[in-house]
Amino acid sequence: MSATRGRSGGGATTSGCGLKRRNAPQDQEDSKMINQDQPSTEDWCGRFWNGMELLKDVTEKKHFLPTGLEGIDTLLGGGLRQGQLTEITGPSSSGKTQVCLHCASNIAAKQMGVVMYLDTSNSFSPSRVATIIYGISDLFGQRGFELQPKDARLKSVMRSIICESVFDIFALFEVLHQLEVSLLNDKVNNGGSKVCLLVIDSISSLLAPIIGGKYPQGRSMMISVAVILKKLADEHNLSVLRTFNLFRMPSSNNSYRMPSSNKVTNHMVSAGNGAVKPALGESWKAVPHVRLMLSHECQNNICTATVLKHTLMASGRTAKFAAPS
Amino acid sequence: MANMPVSEMRLPPHLAYLLAARRLDTAKDVLSLPEVELMAVLDAGVPTARAAVAHVSEAACPPCQTALALLEERVRLGGGGRLATTLCGLDEALGGGIPMGKLTEVVGPSGIGKTQFCLKLALLAALPEYYGGLDGRVVYIDTESKFSSRRMIEIGQKSFPQIFRQEGLAQKMAGRILVMRPASLADFTKSLEQMKVTLLQHDVKLLIVDSMAALMSLGNEKATAGFRQHPLRWALSFLKSIAEFSRIPVVVTNQVRSQSNDDGYHFSFEVDRKDGNNCAERFDSHLIAALGIQWAHAVTVRLVFESHSGHRFIKVAKSPMSPAVAFPFAVESSGITLLSDEGIDVTGPEITSIRCQGQNILSR
Amino acid sequence: MSYTGSAPASSSLYWKGMESSGDPHPPILAGAQNAWDMLSDEQSQKHITTGSGDLNNILGGGIHCKEVTEIGGVPGVGKTQLGIQLAINVQIPVEYGGLGGKAVYIDTEGSFMVERVYQIAEGCISDILEHFPHSHGKSSSGQKQLQPEHFLADIYYFRICSYTEQIAAINYLEKFLGEHKDVRIVIIDSVTFHFRQDFDDLALRTRVLSGLSLKLMKIAKAFNLAVVLLNQVTTKFTEGSFQLTLALGDSWSHSCTNRLILYWNGNDRYAYLDKSPSLPVASAPYAVTGKGVRDAASSNHKRVRVT
Repeated sequence: MSATRGRSGGGATTSGCGLKRRNAPQDQEDSKMINQDQPSTEDWCGRFWNGMELLKDVTEKKHFLPTGLEGIDTLLGGGLRQGQLTEITGPSSSGKTQVCLHCASNIAAKQMGVVMYLDTSNSFSPSRVATIIYGISDLFGQRGFELQPKDARLKSVMRSIICESVFDIFALFEVLHQLEVSLLNDKVNNGGSKVCLLVIDSISSLLAPIIGGKYPQGRSMMISVAVILKKLADEHNLSVLRTFNLFRMPSSNNSYRMPSSNKVTNHMVSAGNGAVKPALGESWKAVPHVRLMLSHECQNNICTATVLKHTLMASGRTAKFAAPS
Repeated sequence: MANMPVSEMRLPPHLAYLLAARRLDTAKDVLSLPEVELMAVLDAGVPTARAAVAHVSEAACPPCQTALALLEERVRLGGGGRLATTLCGLDEALGGGIPMGKLTEVVGPSGIGKTQFCLKLALLAALPEYYGGLDGRVVYIDTESKFSSRRMIEIGQKSFPQIFRQEGLAQKMAGRILVMRPASLADFTKSLEQMKVTLLQHDVKLLIVDSMAALMSLGNEKATAGFRQHPLRWALSFLKSIAEFSRIPVVVTNQVRSQSNDDGYHFSFEVDRKDGNNCAERFDSHLIAALGIQWAHAVTVRLVFESHSGHRFIKVAKSPMSPAVAFPFAVESSGITLLSDEGIDVTGPEITSIRCQGQNILSR
Repeated sequence: MSYTGSAPASSSLYWKGMESSGDPHPPILAGAQNAWDMLSDEQSQKHITTGSGDLNNILGGGIHCKEVTEIGGVPGVGKTQLGIQLAINVQIPVEYGGLGGKAVYIDTEGSFMVERVYQIAEGCISDILEHFPHSHGKSSSGQKQLQPEHFLADIYYFRICSYTEQIAAINYLEKFLGEHKDVRIVIIDSVTFHFRQDFDDLALRTRVLSGLSLKLMKIAKAFNLAVVLLNQVTTKFTEGSFQLTLALGDSWSHSCTNRLILYWNGNDRYAYLDKSPSLPVASAPYAVTGKGVRDAASSNHKRVRVT
């Protein structure tokens, strides 16, 4: 039971797609003796871990980040796991952006770290975030907050949420690359608060223009994004939260049945077989570690969340909760 | 502008060469591709693809005008851009008459007077300007063979007796009206395409299609609903472009069909109100316009002809210029006349509903 | 003249600002802002009034800049009226509480009737003069004179006849807006018309539309203006019956920041806020009068017929 992980040490260089090459000081003497100029395999593949080390790493470092919405936290067994990719899907207006905003506000308010919010539809609303933060009741009784006036407390909390708008896939690659670089620098300098949560709302808007044509570049870019996100999550102890959009085919019944077709690139079926289908096809479903689906009824204000995939628990559990006001 | 060739666009040489080499010859070819696919076709990087798209877009984009320039142009063309119908109340409500350059729809149950209305309009367009007409030719596309020249001359003699007493004038007026009777949808599309050229040559000032719904059902008995949409869409955009291009009014008549229970016509957030409305109107047969909601969106002005409470009404159901009013009318030997020039204000969605008392009109 | 598609300098770096204010979090990304700065920006933003107080309330003050708002409704309910009203209201001078900006109106259906625009401009001016009686028809320091012709002169009109031209116009907007920096609203009426008709390959249509919507989002953010998209409705068979829904399907429904649906409720026109990141769903009545879009309750102005 062993696993390999790409590790980065000091002075690592990056190539265009984010792969790193490690300079491992302790191996250089060995390799000098064997062959001077050829790097050994271990330079590339990284260190092997055994099961006990992995378990220790997981229990000590990979914590749960609570979202602040009780229903979802219980469903997820505590919240968003560090080192994992969590995805929220659902049709339009089902509450995905609200969950993201709640999550970002909660983590910033509890001072767990810096939140990076990548927004593709100009939906990041600072006033909404401020309202949520005010609503977190036990915030202002904590840790040295008593002395500061309310505005200054809000200011310091909101300053740890950083928002950037991305409007195409290339900009996303650029942003993720910069993020990686700055995380590495932080690791080296060991200073300041680190980014602990990365939110992308919503990834499917960026991927929709590139998926589905007869050229394969779109799919390969989609896979690259997935690889980079997972790597970031793993190496830097981030939680990554993503939303993507479902849409509904004309159906005779209203059930959210998962599609049986295997067409990856076709996200507009011609005649309804009655299913809600993820906008990006089958191959995307395998990417995140945890998948949640939200739905929202118009008449009452109840949101329903269903676990579609989870690494630790059985899927299919649902929770209903009142939509956050 | 969509088919503007790339060669005419004066692009930087390396871009022009690249696009030509990849067989992207018109603006439409270049712009219909999403960015990533364009990059793949051109085998170029992001900056090149974006530069190509930006240059092509700038060339293909229609020129910009300010609204003030539009207004001045309208004023300069004179006449307020309207064809007066001589029904005073209606003309006032529509801001002078049937607008030029836009698509006007006349919808109502059969036998209510749509064709009479069209005949009158045709006559008015043919009259010399001295008498308030447009002094031009009229193209009348008659799909149901309802056009009767005798009736038109009768209308002319009764409405403008002083004009028609002159010898030969009646014949001259009738001669200005070109009637076409397409046997099928293909016929119709072919003649429309030819018409675009002849419109300007022959100084046509009005185009009437009577009726559009019959035309759609002419060629498509066996077609599925999906296919039926395509000729409709094509005809729609073509008629609109003819109207705007030649600055003439285009009048189209539409039929009605009965409304089935499934036509709920509510949004999802209005679900609980569905049952309340249907009870009150069960006595009048419930009719809606044929050709669907997409057609309803596309016309600029919609005149609904209906009958209830023993009278017939013309309702201005959709118009950017006018409030929702209804005028009672009657069909006489001199054509349509309004019984009252003061319209009745109609509030609410009733303006778009069509009622016909007495008979149950079934769809054709 | 570079067309690399990168956002212009208005989404500028905040390095200097963050360092000088003693920000404990060193800047991680160029071009990113923290939520506190965005909050202060947002609070100083003005909203574009719709003309009806109730409608403004459910929208949180009016149409927001930097956001894409979609407005849909059945034919005849007043979408074009609202679009024209917004094109006029954005021009209300700053001293009267407006934005003092210009408008771009992209017309795909041909429903823009100039006489009606003139009427609405007159209505807006008469309301301004009613509220600010000392202006005497000319605002201070010789800025925009309160004449309908001036309002019309500040609306840039594009007439689009096919989807190719629509794509070209939206792409060209980036350059156009760079040259006309005082445009504060872009209205597209209606965004779906040509795409519903002429596009046969539905999958390609989805890709092209998603690309367009991202471009519009980018324009809204980069040039700090409001983008308003008017949309048609179609019927869809869901949940056992036909329901009304906005055109172009579910894939398009994610492409806006806010969505407003206009519908009939009895004899009144209502607006329903269906999607918003910061506001709850709500309905409000409104009316269309001779002067334009106004409140429903107080509409003792009937629509005057144009002579």
